[in-house]
Formats: sequence, structure tokens, C-alpha cells
Amino acid sequence: MKGNQALTLSVPLKKNYTVQLKVTRALIYVFLTLLLIITIIPVWLLLVNATRSTVEIQQGISLLPSRYLFTNYGILLSKGLDLPRGFINSLIIAGATTLVTVYFSMLTAYGLVVYDFKGKKVLYNSIILLVMIPMQLSIIGFYQWMSTLGLDDNYLSLILPSLASAGSVFFCKQYLESIMIHDLIDAGRIDGASEIGIFHRIMLPIAAPGAFTLGIFAFVGAWNNFFNAFILITSRDKYTLPMLVQTLRGDVYRHEYGAIYLGLAASLVPIIVIYFLFSRYIVNGISMGAVKE
Amino acid sequence: MFSKVRKNSYGYLFITPFIIGFLVFGLYPVVNTLGLSFTNFTLMRGDGDFIGLQNFKRLFADTTFLTAIKNTWSLWLMNFIPQLGIALLLSVWFTNTQLKIKGGGLWRMMFYMPNLMMQSAVAALFFSLFSFYGPVNQFMVRAGFIPEAIDYIRNPAVMRGLVVFIQWWLWFGQTTILIMAAMTSISVSIYEAATVDGANSWQMFRFITLPLIKPVMIYVLVTSLVGGMQLFDIPFLLTDGRGSPANSILTNNIMMYMRFRSSQGHIGAAASVGVMVFIMTTFVALLIFYVLREKHDSVTEKA
Repeated sequence: MKGNQALTLSVPLKKNYTVQLKVTRALIYVFLTLLLIITIIPVWLLLVNATRSTVEIQQGISLLPSRYLFTNYGILLSKGLDLPRGFINSLIIAGATTLVTVYFSMLTAYGLVVYDFKGKKVLYNSIILLVMIPMQLSIIGFYQWMSTLGLDDNYLSLILPSLASAGSVFFCKQYLESIMIHDLIDAGRIDGASEIGIFHRIMLPIAAPGAFTLGIFAFVGAWNNFFNAFILITSRDKYTLPMLVQTLRGDVYRHEYGAIYLGLAASLVPIIVIYFLFSRYIVNGISMGAVKE
Repeated sequence: MFSKVRKNSYGYLFITPFIIGFLVFGLYPVVNTLGLSFTNFTLMRGDGDFIGLQNFKRLFADTTFLTAIKNTWSLWLMNFIPQLGIALLLSVWFTNTQLKIKGGGLWRMMFYMPNLMMQSAVAALFFSLFSFYGPVNQFMVRAGFIPEAIDYIRNPAVMRGLVVFIQWWLWFGQTTILIMAAMTSISVSIYEAATVDGANSWQMFRFITLPLIKPVMIYVLVTSLVGGMQLFDIPFLLTDGRGSPANSILTNNIMMYMRFRSSQGHIGAAASVGVMVFIMTTFVALLIFYVLREKHDSVTEKA
């Protein structure tokens, strides 16, 4: 914005100004690079240390990988950490949560966008309000209620709450409004399609990119969720990946640094891969969820 | 016309799963938590009696509760302010047409990456990095910054700083993306008009950019606050799960969890912590939303 002054400056001063701009720009790049290093270095050290032996790790820092990846994995197995099991458990929960979140949020948002019914405005305002209310703080009542229903230590108690995900409905409503073609719905009706059929066969395919973006967020959120699973799941064989990761802090692994780092790396790598594959969807999706007035 | 009205009742069909899901998994747990907070329910007995406001009286008499509230607020504020500051700075730089910073999308993408990392793994990672024989001590001693290794994990100030840093590290990229999206949507012609009127860059930031990105800033503020008041994973897993050292990183949710997992399983008492924090957070969130929103509306009306 500083540059706007250049419009009124005479030529010799303008040259001075370009030098100043170049210096500013160089300083900004230095700052950004420092910020980038801070962002990446913890994760990089983690990935590198997962391939190094405990002795190497104790000898000093390295930014280059070593060759003890499989040794470390062997140590993890010998200590009884069932990483593949945790991986599958997390995959089941995250996959199911994603499907439930995307389908039912789209369904609800479609109902709000397409139809005019009594109480619609109240419902919509409640949804906006719900985004701002810390529902997680009712976890104690939730836990006790799930025990009563016999759903504690059951994945359903982690998956089913996604039926009513206020933030996701809000996202879907914003998205559907931006792509909605009402003529298509009328055309579907004329062709004799049912209302739910129109949603399934006409609207969902059109909304696929938005559904995909929401799906990534739902998946990552469920994959990383620690607190709820930590409260609700008690059987060792049902432990999710974040719960297993937490056990790495225990005494059993006291001096097995390489193995610890490998355990942590295994839980982060899938997300890093997803991110680099779909970063465009993710970065654009973040701002779509924000309140726009 | 008649058919259109009839079709509209299909709306109820579409929203029914949401309503049922909300009543069963959202609203009832809140009501249940509130109910439990008036009882001495323990998991051991599987039962409890109504004891009125006893839990709340005990809670306010307990200085650890005040410590937890104070900690949660200060940990949130200390990471939120630099988060917003960096986000504003980066957004101004990336959207500035004179500076022409290259690779804006790529920078943003990298800065956002930590946000997707599993927080329990991040906590364990920083625990390892800052452990007595960990990489941080190795680096600091070898580079000569400190004479001998420091036991960071037992130092309250360091641990508090570390929680703040990790939270900042996790969230500054997301805040930057949101603020930048808001700044990008401002029409260039407004700035051009201001330039013609002789406004300098600070004036343009103060009187054009800031008011126009206000709705998004409120969104960022409120969602960050609601998340911050429930801070759990990082401080819980960074030390012993009790907010050590010296309760320095004991947060609301850690306290609630400690009641929940106490030997008897005092879920009545745990619920009262949840209720208090719920009321406090909701009140402040709605207050912020209401106060800032009103002002915003009156400004646009005048303009």
C-alpha cells in the first residue's frame, strides 16, 4: 500500500523508492523463511528421528534420515504396541464419521436452501448459535447417557453425533447457495423424480466438490480426535491411534526414542499425505466455513 | 402454487435426522450434564443423590478451580494475540499489489500444515524435543547458549510458554488464511479512491481494511475463544496429565477430566466444572458477537 504514494512522486525520488521497496521485500522473504523453518522443523525432526536409532538420537540432532526404520518398528511390536490395529480402528471411525457428516449435513442444508417451511429461520439461527456454543463441555452428561444406552466403549457414540454437526451444515448451506440451480429441481419434478431422488441424483453429484472438501475436514477432525475417544473408549483393542500415541509416553518406552518417534510419525504421515494431495481443497474450504455477512 | 406449498413440507423430512441427532447427542447431554452437576453421582456407585448447589460451592471454594480458569484464559490470550498479529501482517503483505510477494499460496499452504497434525502426537513430540536428553538441550548446550542441560519439563514458565507456542504454531496458519480471504474480497477500487483522496497506507489499513474484515475477525475471535476455553490435548499430554509443574498448565478441561477419572469417578463434581465453563464461555462468546456486531451494523447504516 505504501507504493501508492509513488503516483505523486517525481522521477529521481521514484528510483529511491524502488530501492526501498526491494529492501522491504527482501526483509519480508527473510521473515517468511524463518516462519517456514519454525513451521516445518518440529515435524521434520520427528520424521527423521523415526528412522534413527536411540543411540544416534542421543548423540545429536540430524536433519538427514538414517536406516533404523525397521529396527524401530520391531521395537514397537516387541513392546506390544499394535499400531496396525489402532490404524484400522481410527480408519473405521474417521471413515464412518466422514460419511455421516457429509451426507446428513448436505441433507439438512438442502432442506434449508430449497424449501420454505415454518420454523426454518429459527432452525437456521439455532445452527449459527450452536457453532458458537462449546458443546464438548457436556461430555460428562454425554458419557453417562451413552452408558445408560449401552453405547459407551462403542464406536457408535463417536460416530452418531455427526448426524447434527452445526458447523458442517453451515458450510453446506453456504456452498449449496452458491451452486444452486432451482430450474434443475423443477425439471426433475416434471420428470417425476421424488424430492429425495432429486437430492440424491441431481444435487449431490453437482455438490460433489463441496462434499469432498467437507469430507476432508471431517476425516482429519475425526482422525485426530483424542478427548472424546479417551473418555468413551476403554477396551484396549478398541484404542484409536491418538490413544495409542498417548501410551508411548509410558515407562515401557522410556529409552526407546527411535521407536517413540516412529509411533508418532505413523499417526502424522497419513494426514501429511492427504494434505499434500488435497491442499487446494483444504485451503479454499477453510474460508468457506467462516461467517460471511 | 398449491403443489409448491405442498412440496415445502418436504423440508421437514430433510431436517429430521439433524433434529433427532441434535436432541439425542447434543441437547440431552447438555441437560444431563446440568442435572448431574446438582448430584453427588459417582461412577463407583452408579448412582447419586440430589445435593443442590453443593458441587458449585465446593468448586468456588477450591483455589485450583480459579487457577484453572486463570490459566485457560491466559494461555488462550497469549497465543491468540500473536496469532492474530502475525495473520494480519502476513495478509497485508500477501495482498499488497506493490510488494508482489511470490508464492503466496505456497507459503500459506505450508503455514497451515501444523493445524492438521494430531494434537496428541504433537504434544508427545514436543515432550520428546524438550526432554532432558532431547534435541533442544543438545542443540542449546553444543551451540553454547546455555552452560548445561535444563530440565524444561519441571519449569513452570517454560512449560506455559511451550503450550502457548504450540497452540500458536497449530493455529496461526488457519487464522492467516481466514484473514487473507477477507482482505482479498475487498474491492481494489476502494483503495484507489482512497489514494486519490490522499490517504496513506496506515489510514487505508485502519479505515478501510480493518472495518471491512471485521465480520471475519469476529468469527476468528469467537471460534478461537470457544476452542481455547476447552484446551485439553496439548497441556494434558505435555506433562503428567495433571497440569504439572505446579499447576502451571492446568486448564478447565484437565480439571474436569481429573474429577471424572478420580478413584470414585465423581462425575457429579466433574459435571459442575463443565457447566461453569460452559456458562462462562457461552456468555463471553455471545457478548463479543453481540457487542461487535451491533457496532458494525450501525457503521454500515451511517455509510
